[in-house]
Amino acid sequence: MSYVDHAQSSYENVSKHVPESLRVYLPILPVMTLVGVFILYPIAQAIYSSFFAKSLLQPDQAEFVGLANYVEIWTDPDIHQVLWNTAIWVSVGSLAAIVLGFLMGWLLDEKLPYTSVASAIVLIPWVLPRVVGASIWQFMFGGSQGIINELLVQLGFVDEYIVMLGSTELSLWPPIIGMIWRLAPLFALLTLTSLQGIDEHLYEAARMDGATPWEQFRYITIPMMKYNLAIGFLLMLIYNVRNFSMVWVMTKGGPGVSSSTLPVMIYRAAFIDFEVGFASALSVMLFVVLLVFSYYYIQFYDKVQGEM
Amino acid sequence: MATQDTDPTAEFRKNQSWLYDSKPGAYVRKTAIGLLTLVVGAFILFPLYWMVVTAFKTTAEIQQIPPTVFPENFSLEGFRLVIESSIQAGGYAGLVQNLFGVTVSSAIDINLLGLVVSSLKVAVGAGLIAVVLGTGASYVLSRRDFRGKNLLMSLLLASLMFPGTAIMVPEWELISTLGLFNTHLALILIYGAMTAPFVVWLMKGFFDDFPDSIIEASRIDQCSAFETFWYVLVPMARNSLIASFIFAFLLAWNELVFALTLLDNSKFTVPPGLLTFVQGFNTQWNVVAAASIIVSIPVLAGLAYIQRYFVQGLTGGAIKG
Repeated sequence: MSYVDHAQSSYENVSKHVPESLRVYLPILPVMTLVGVFILYPIAQAIYSSFFAKSLLQPDQAEFVGLANYVEIWTDPDIHQVLWNTAIWVSVGSLAAIVLGFLMGWLLDEKLPYTSVASAIVLIPWVLPRVVGASIWQFMFGGSQGIINELLVQLGFVDEYIVMLGSTELSLWPPIIGMIWRLAPLFALLTLTSLQGIDEHLYEAARMDGATPWEQFRYITIPMMKYNLAIGFLLMLIYNVRNFSMVWVMTKGGPGVSSSTLPVMIYRAAFIDFEVGFASALSVMLFVVLLVFSYYYIQFYDKVQGEM
Repeated sequence: MATQDTDPTAEFRKNQSWLYDSKPGAYVRKTAIGLLTLVVGAFILFPLYWMVVTAFKTTAEIQQIPPTVFPENFSLEGFRLVIESSIQAGGYAGLVQNLFGVTVSSAIDINLLGLVVSSLKVAVGAGLIAVVLGTGASYVLSRRDFRGKNLLMSLLLASLMFPGTAIMVPEWELISTLGLFNTHLALILIYGAMTAPFVVWLMKGFFDDFPDSIIEASRIDQCSAFETFWYVLVPMARNSLIASFIFAFLLAWNELVFALTLLDNSKFTVPPGLLTFVQGFNTQWNVVAAASIIVSIPVLAGLAYIQRYFVQGLTGGAIKG
């Protein structure tokens, strides 16, 4: 109690010296300070740094180079591979996670026994520490003891064990599969919630009008879910573009850059090659991509809020 | 039968049951759904199963080709090694020797206990910061109109979008400048800043839906705005507050990038600590699996509690990767 009184009186003491019109900002100030210092300032700093040639080892000796870092990105020998990998991550990874997640959500919505337990269990891949999830997949794909190899042999797809994580042709795919495993449950949950949010009476009315199951799906389910699905879709894109842990734990982006995505390239540029300016320019590229996605995310989010 | 059909409870139960389906072709449909469920379920659950069985295998069995689907010799070796090496690396070997007369010596080097303690410190700290700072702000943002409100909300939402990987370099420089390099405080502040906007979002949703009449009643009883907030709203928001805390906790518990770049081995939290072990030579996978299970327990406990808040939170502007 005394703590509360103290907190209250100190709040009032502070607010006494603040004009009435500004008092409303007092409770917001701490959050904005924290977010401003640790999120917004670094974002601004990343944009600023991208115009300098700067080494992480000698941060004081920065030289203004204008757009040279951005030019360097396009002449970097690895960039095409990395952008291509990122594009595959975002498109294939998101699409597969969406299809699988939609299917899972749909199955969870069937009145199967223990749906609530099942939907909690299904979420485990999503909440598990990312390093844990990634190391499970690394173990399953990796080396001489990998169960995936054994499965492929048993099913007759290959004759003998193949090196997957250490191969330039294949190394991109195991992390993507791991990521699909991690993200599909999230989309499943979104699907499930939006399915459960649809009024049963709509279906009843449609059935009375003689609508086939396909028509019910096409003209009720999809329209009712579209904003939630759009949010889920954008979330999948955002997560896949940003993903670092799955790649880093499983392959470190290698061999070479065969499995590197944009975030991995940023990490390597900054903390292995110590080229801060170059890394910042790459970060700005990533910002731009995310800004586009985020813009639509917020739009759809507002629409969902408006309808709920 | 006729009586049952008119009994509303029985009718409801039947409709709820998956097995009850009188439509033609129901069996085909159910078989298809069952098979699909098995395939999808296997993809999601098999890795988890594999982690659990691996934890209970002996080192020899893990190196066996082809791998065994179920442990032949059920063994706690993995867990034993994790605990032993934690005791040794944590410097408790002497204590255990004195207390129990057991000599602990471990060939592997993973101080899981130390990692868990570091992670707990960081995650609880970040959760508290995010909830305490976020809730006050969300109340004002929900209940008052003022200049710059939309801008503030947009800034907060925008700050949720940016991934750790893109700001880790400036963050590294900032933390060095502040003299916080290799401290847990640095992570607490960063994770707090990463989740506070989300807490604002979640709690704003709660306060938006809060009935005005209760607030008016407390005003009539001469409560100040702060008293209303502290004595009326906060107790009623308990569940949402706990959910916010757990979200922040989970983020901090799982985050790899900042922990990897801002700490060195001695201060590592669980994710980077586990990573160094996984990538050591001669990784003992039963130990990794055992350690993974141990560090996942807090996460699963959190999940069990906040499951129903999950979607609300996720669509509520929480864009945490």
